[in-house]
Order: sequence, then C-alpha cells, then structure tokens
Amino acid sequence: MARKKVDPDIEAAKKKAAERKAEIGTELPPLKAGETPAEAVSSASVPEKEPKHHKMPYEKRKAMYGYGFIALWMVGTLIFFLIPLIKSLYYSFNEVTVNPGSLDTTWVGFEKYSYVLNTDPNYTDYLTDTLLETLWKTPLVLIFSLFIAVILNQKFKGRALSRAIFFLPVIIATGPVYKIINGDMDSTGNAGAAQFSTMFSTDMVGSLLEFLGIYGLSDNMGTMISTVADNIFGIVWSSGIQILLFLAALQNIPPSAKEAAQMEGATAWEYFWKITFPYVSPFILANLIFTVIDSFTSPTNSVMNRIIDMKNQWAFGEASAMAWIYFLIVLAAIGLITAIVNKFIYYEVD
Amino acid sequence: MSDNQLAVAAGDAVVKTEAEIGNGMSKKEAKKIRMQSMSKAEISYLRRKAVAEKVWPFFRFVILFGLGFVILYPLIYMISCTFRERSDMSDPTVMWIPRNYTLNVLKETIQAMDFWNTLRTTLILNIGCSLVQVVSCAITGYGFARFKFKGKGLLFGIVIMMILVPTQVIALPLYTQFRYFLFGKLNLIDTMWTMYLPALTANGIRSGLMILIFRQFFKGLPRELEDAAYIDGCGPFKTFVRVMVPNAASSFLTVFLFSVVWYWNDYYVSTTFFTDTKTVALMLTNLDNELKIRLFNDATVQISPREQIVWKEAGCLISIAPILILYVFLQKYFTEGIERSGLVA
Repeated sequence: MARKKVDPDIEAAKKKAAERKAEIGTELPPLKAGETPAEAVSSASVPEKEPKHHKMPYEKRKAMYGYGFIALWMVGTLIFFLIPLIKSLYYSFNEVTVNPGSLDTTWVGFEKYSYVLNTDPNYTDYLTDTLLETLWKTPLVLIFSLFIAVILNQKFKGRALSRAIFFLPVIIATGPVYKIINGDMDSTGNAGAAQFSTMFSTDMVGSLLEFLGIYGLSDNMGTMISTVADNIFGIVWSSGIQILLFLAALQNIPPSAKEAAQMEGATAWEYFWKITFPYVSPFILANLIFTVIDSFTSPTNSVMNRIIDMKNQWAFGEASAMAWIYFLIVLAAIGLITAIVNKFIYYEVD
Repeated sequence: MSDNQLAVAAGDAVVKTEAEIGNGMSKKEAKKIRMQSMSKAEISYLRRKAVAEKVWPFFRFVILFGLGFVILYPLIYMISCTFRERSDMSDPTVMWIPRNYTLNVLKETIQAMDFWNTLRTTLILNIGCSLVQVVSCAITGYGFARFKFKGKGLLFGIVIMMILVPTQVIALPLYTQFRYFLFGKLNLIDTMWTMYLPALTANGIRSGLMILIFRQFFKGLPRELEDAAYIDGCGPFKTFVRVMVPNAASSFLTVFLFSVVWYWNDYYVSTTFFTDTKTVALMLTNLDNELKIRLFNDATVQISPREQIVWKEAGCLISIAPILILYVFLQKYFTEGIERSGLVA
C-alpha cells in the first residue's frame, strides 16, 4: 500500500527524532515551534547517552505503544465498567438507602440474595421461565439459522431480496419496536402459527399434526411441535445475526472441499454433515454465545424487566442481587457449554 | 446448485465426444449408451439428483416465502394500521385493507412524540456517539491485535467480560457514577455526556463486541503492510492512521452502521440516564402516556387497548422508518461487512 505521499525527508527526520527520544527513555516533548527536525535529531543523539539505548529495547517500546493504543479504553473501563461492576456486587450485599446527595449502605451479607430467592413473589418464577425459554429456544434458533443460511447460500432468483428480508430483524429486534410488535401480535391473537390460521381461517398446524399423526407421533412430540410453531415468530425474529454469521462461515468453505465431495458423489445430506457442518462448527459456539447474550438484552426478557422495576423502586440492593444471580447462572451455563462444545468443534489448522 | 450444473456440464462434454466417435449419433442415443455403461448406483444417484433439482426450488420458495412473511407481517401490519381510523380496529371485517383511510393517526402520533425535535436529538446523539465509539474501539482493537504487552490476556479478558455482563448489572452504579462525577463535583445525569463519555473511551453500548470485531479484523490484515510502513519511518500511530485505517474503511462503515442501529434501539441505557432528554426509543416506550396527555388533554381518558394499537403501530412505523431507509440504501454494508470483518476466528 503506497499511501505515504508525505515529504519523505522531513517525515523521516521527525520520526527519527521521536524514536531517538523514545529510546533514551524520556517523555516525548512535542517539537518546539521553530525547531527544525534536524536540530531535534542532533540534540537528542548526544554521544554520552549512547549506552542508554539498551534500556528501552524494541520489544519494550512496542509494548509501550500497545499500552498507548489501549490507554483510552483502560481509563474508560475503569470508570465505566470495573468500578460499577464491583460497586454493584457490593450493593448486592448491602441495604442501600437513597438519601438526597448520597447513597448509604449497611452490610447485610447474603440477606438480599435470600430475600430475592425466597421472598420475592415473582423473581424465581421469572428466572426459571426465562432460563427454560433460553434453554429450548437457543438450539432452535441455531438450527433454524443454519438451515436458512444454507438456503440463502444457494444461487437462485431473488436471493438478494430474501437476504435483505431475513436480515431485517437485525436492525429492529433489539429495540422497543420489537416489544410493541410482540405485544400487539399477542393481543390481537396473531402470534406464531395463529397468524397463518387466522389468515387462512384453518388450524394449519393442527391439521398438519393430524396428518403426521398417521405415522404415530407421540403426544409429547406433538405438543413440542406446536410449541415451536407457536413461537416461530420469536425464533425467526431472533436469528438475524446468527444467519449472517453462518452465511459468512458457509462462504468460507473452500471450493476444493466442494469439488472433492462432488467427485466422490456425495449426496446433499452427506455433503451437509461431512463438509458444511465441520466448517461452520466454530461459528456454532460463537452463535450460541451470541444468542444467549442477545436474550439478556431482549426487550421481552422478563427477568431484566423485573430488575428494572426494582431499580425504579430504588431497591438497589435487591436489584443488584437479582442481576448477579441471573448473570452468574448464565455465565456458568455458557462456560459449561463452551467446554463441552469445544470438544466437538473442528478447527482448520492453518 | 452449481454442483449440479457442473455435473451436467461434465455430462455434456462426454456426450459430445461420444457423438463424435459414433459419427453423428443423436444426443439421446449417446445418452442411452452412456446410461448402459453406468452401474445401478450411478444411475440412481443421477436420478435422485435430477429429482432434487426439480423439487427443491419449489420447497425453497415455500419455505422462504412463509418465513419471509413472518418477518414482514409486523411491518405490513404497521403500515396498514397507520393509515386507518381507529374504528377500523373493532371492525372484524378489516384485516389488512383499512375501510377508512386517514392521515390523522400519523399526524397525531408525530405530534404526540414531538417527532421532529426528538428525531433531531436522537440523530445528534446517535451519529455523534457512534462515530466517536467506532474510532475509539478501532484504536483499542488495533492495540490488542498487534502489540504484545504485559497483562494483555487479563485485559482482553475484561473485554470479553464487557460483552458478557448485561448492562442491567452495572447500570445502577453507573448512574451514581454519573450523578456524582469527579467525586461529586459534577452531575452529568440528563446531559449528553452520559452517552458521549463512555463512547469516547470505548465503553459505550456493545463496545466490547466492537473491540472484538476490530481486533479480529486487524489481526487478519497482513503484517507486511505495517512492516513496510515502519521501514519507511512511520511510527505506530501514524502507521495506524495512514495504513491500517484506509484498509479497514468498509469494516469501519459496517461497525458504524451497527452502532447507529444499537444506539437507535437502545432505551434501557437512555432511561437510566435521561429524564428530560428525549430519544425516539424513549418516546416510543412512553407513547401511551404521551398520547393521553397530549392528544386528549386528560390522563384518565379510556380508549380500548385494541384501538390504541393504531397509534402504537404508527409510532413504531415512524420510529423505525429512519433506520429502515438507512438499511435499504446501505444494506450491502450491513450484510457483507460482517462477513468480511471476520467476526469469528
């Protein structure tokens, strides 16, 4: 990349001056007005200081630059992330009272946690509901988005349009609009499969199940399928980014793998399991984590809404305890899943 | 389906040569001869392929159309609701096409949300924050991608934590942090600083994810680029600005667009820090009350929830219209950018 159209002489000299100074280990003073780069070089490279060069070896200097690049972030993280994080943990062990001008805390130990888990009327219900929902929804979202990604990766007319439509939830589903849409769908009885049923005034899923029932589907399976069908709205709407990532993975499959599969006469099914799946498997983990994190921020997450309620009632201690319990459970789940999934992932060796 | 095409192409080639050998045999005859020479398994393989080729596009169309409808349904419904009168909501014969068209609902909603002022505030806030945050995240990401320093693993662990920890966990102390900024000397609540300061220091909304994206992207660029710049006498900062940033232009645009969308959609962080300042997302969540106060001059007025949907949907429509327009025109960058930035490695 030839992007250096600057006068090479002056730039090089300036650079040298700066580097010398850095090597000597002094703070870099900006070039004084009127001082030419050449002077700076000569003043910096006085012979006696020569041995000091070794005090700041190249590696160390690069490390300093590294700190320089992340310095801004480090300051911000300390103020806007780490301190609040620790404070929130601290609040969860305290009785927090809000006074004008200050927050007063009294240490109560695990009292808030036991209150939240045992006494709070809604929290445990919400928690189990949300966790269960995440538990069955996440695999569905993953399977669904992989399926759609495979379809959208094929060549056909109107592919660009279909992609645009399927990525649409990415820009809408994180916002309050989604909450209202979701609510309205429910209140007008048009969510999920019911949506189609009202449109065509038949119970589509029901008749489909009846049709399948010929082949002896068990009752459990039946309820499962209708649950999925009822929640198709939620699933489709929460798999935008996942489709995007899987599609990216699919496009990274080398053509040679495809050719080899063709030569061997692999069927589409075999191709999927032997070629596609191993190649996208690293993305499955990423998508998994992404889906779980997304469920945190989803406007329809009832645990989070409960936490917001508590906060609005100025019950800081309880709200913090609630947030931490939820977060730790999910963190443990993610850790466990990562450990398990990592064993089955195929990483291409570079 | 390109594999099928390839197979067909290969088949054609064989047919041609056989036709040449067989001195003007018709294609059909040649194919017959070829079929005879094939084993049963091969024939059934080809047959299955041909059937799949015919049937699959139909199924694909049905699947895509059905699911596409699920996605578009709320949008169509929004448009349909916005332009109907509220009495149409209780009319069971009205499903999609309104009986009475009206622009009043739209006008009233715009008025209730104070839309143009709100839009201006939101845009200033969003675009400003996104710009600043993209730059700060890119710098941080580059630092993590290319330099070795002590504690890098730990610090990067913090970045991952930033992705994992939900905002709700830290929102409360963050509030006090802003309320008593600089040891109680400043009250930043209700100022734009509550959004700008974190964005400036790469700690804004979903900044952890953005740092990760940039890190992966810069890691993917060849080292030779920088080595060349170093040899030519560029310092790391200048190398970053002159060499790496131009190479990352499309990645910057993608992250910027996503950032705009995330800031646009955020109402959680903004409800925590703003009581006065209005953003579109905030106004939308408060639309119920605003409608009652502004339109009907009475907080106790009763309108059936079903009829309220008209205004709510209209609110949704005008709230997402700006980013929808952005998406339509810059769709390429939304979708291709992520693929190119190599989010996962």
